[in-house]
Amino acid sequence: MSKTYRYRDLLFPVADNTDVYFTVEFISDGNSGQTLINVPGSLDPEIENSGAAFIGKGKDLRGEPTICVSTIANLVPEEDEIRIRYKINGIQLVEHSNAKSEEKNPTIILFVNFTAL
Amino acid sequence: MNYSSAVFIVLIFPASLFGQQVLNELRAPTSPASGVLGLQPSTVLSPKSYQSLEAALYSNFLNSESKAAIPNDFALEFTPYWTKNHGLSLEQYLYPKNIGEQIKRNSSFSMASTQHFLLGDSTPSNGLALGYRTTFYFGNENDRKIVENYRSNLKSNQRIKNKIASEAEKLVSRPEIKNNLDFVDNMRNVVTNAFFELGNFNSLEDAKALTSEICKEAVTLPAFDKQKPDDFLDAFYNLIDTKINAENIFNKFESYIKERQGFSMDAAYACMVNFPTNSFEFSLVPKQSLWLTPTYRFKDTWSYLKLMGVIRYEWYNLDYYRKYFPKSVAFTNNTDYGLAISGEFKKFSIQFEAVGRSSKSEIPAGFDNEGNELFRKEHSTDFQYLGSFSYNLTEEIVLTYSLGNQFQRTENRNNTLVSLLNLNFGFGAPTKAGIDLKK
Repeated sequence: MSKTYRYRDLLFPVADNTDVYFTVEFISDGNSGQTLINVPGSLDPEIENSGAAFIGKGKDLRGEPTICVSTIANLVPEEDEIRIRYKINGIQLVEHSNAKSEEKNPTIILFVNFTAL
Repeated sequence: MNYSSAVFIVLIFPASLFGQQVLNELRAPTSPASGVLGLQPSTVLSPKSYQSLEAALYSNFLNSESKAAIPNDFALEFTPYWTKNHGLSLEQYLYPKNIGEQIKRNSSFSMASTQHFLLGDSTPSNGLALGYRTTFYFGNENDRKIVENYRSNLKSNQRIKNKIASEAEKLVSRPEIKNNLDFVDNMRNVVTNAFFELGNFNSLEDAKALTSEICKEAVTLPAFDKQKPDDFLDAFYNLIDTKINAENIFNKFESYIKERQGFSMDAAYACMVNFPTNSFEFSLVPKQSLWLTPTYRFKDTWSYLKLMGVIRYEWYNLDYYRKYFPKSVAFTNNTDYGLAISGEFKKFSIQFEAVGRSSKSEIPAGFDNEGNELFRKEHSTDFQYLGSFSYNLTEEIVLTYSLGNQFQRTENRNNTLVSLLNLNFGFGAPTKAGIDLKK
């Protein structure tokens, strides 16, 4: 039974013509994970482990929340926590952490509303 | 050769085991300091930061009057590298760039102490030991293939779950979704496509068949609650995990990382300090040990087999043993060399080991006519063989029986026949791999 951590009602004001980049940064050691950012349209960007992806212009992300899902596995016996930083355009949105004694294979879901500046 | 037999039924955790005879280990001990002291502490402190290391030392080595004291039944193991995050990816963790990186990551320092180190006349004295240990792993092509296979399956499962979860979380906010059936009907195509596009299915029909199975079972999950959909969604994700074997793959990969196929080498050193008068003013170093333990884990159909070797070198302070263990037979050094083979199966494991010992001393034997000091050489050999059978009664309880003949001990040369029955209870953190069944 893997545990799901949800971060709702996250706000990120962004101008219509600004490019939006979503970044996943693994802080703790030995994480292996995939992140999918469900944006309007059929092409949902994916990030393998740590990395960044272009998710669209500000104006393309209005309306319903953008849902980002990360499924993480930490298989390293020496590590006792999972710590991941999520950023948009270099600005920290969320820092998730959980003890591995609680969950080694978590699913992290972010609900982000991109509001107009 | 003197024989005696003993049957012990002991609780490894949480009870401590003072006075129990300790067998010579073939492999390098997890805590070299405890190993050289012959101590099986009830708990081993493993501070994860320098602050907690300082707190552990201050709280244990200072008595109520704030004076230095040797704590009893104390063991500590500290691995500096893992006190902070490095953001290592799994790839970087599994394949360090060079030997230096491996030494840095795997170096651990141990400390152990007791107030009951018994001298030859059974007087309890303070004993303190310090140890160091590291491990080298030499990966091979087969290991890379195994790791790549696990990673590929893990990645595929993660992508499937992400695709399904990102759609499901959006779906539940839509007004037309009122119950399990509405949810399942709307998710059917998403699930099928995720399986077919991201999973290892041979055909669309196979993906559809598994989706139908999931949809059928999802209807019977706890009722969907529009106001609190998370419980239902979590149950749905767990159902997906079960069907794509996600937990099983994760557990197998995790177990594999702990015991990778191929060649590894443990190196450890420990020295013991004794305070025979129980005063900090007077101490001696009676014994030092160095272990080199090469291990090879076989592959494919032989993967349950592990072959271990040992080279162990021990130094003894003969003056110390003559004074405080007058009845003992000590040599300046012992060199142990041996092999062990073990087989691990689902419910039980078997191990057989054979170790030879060569002991040497140079004893002062006066002076020649020119005043040069003369030495007399003493040499002895010994042999230890031991068979162990362990049976997992449950996940937490392991029954072990060991039979064989051990080395003549320096402190007590009797009791070389070994017949030990151990019942080991693990509560919480301790695992079968983490406990020494030969103690």
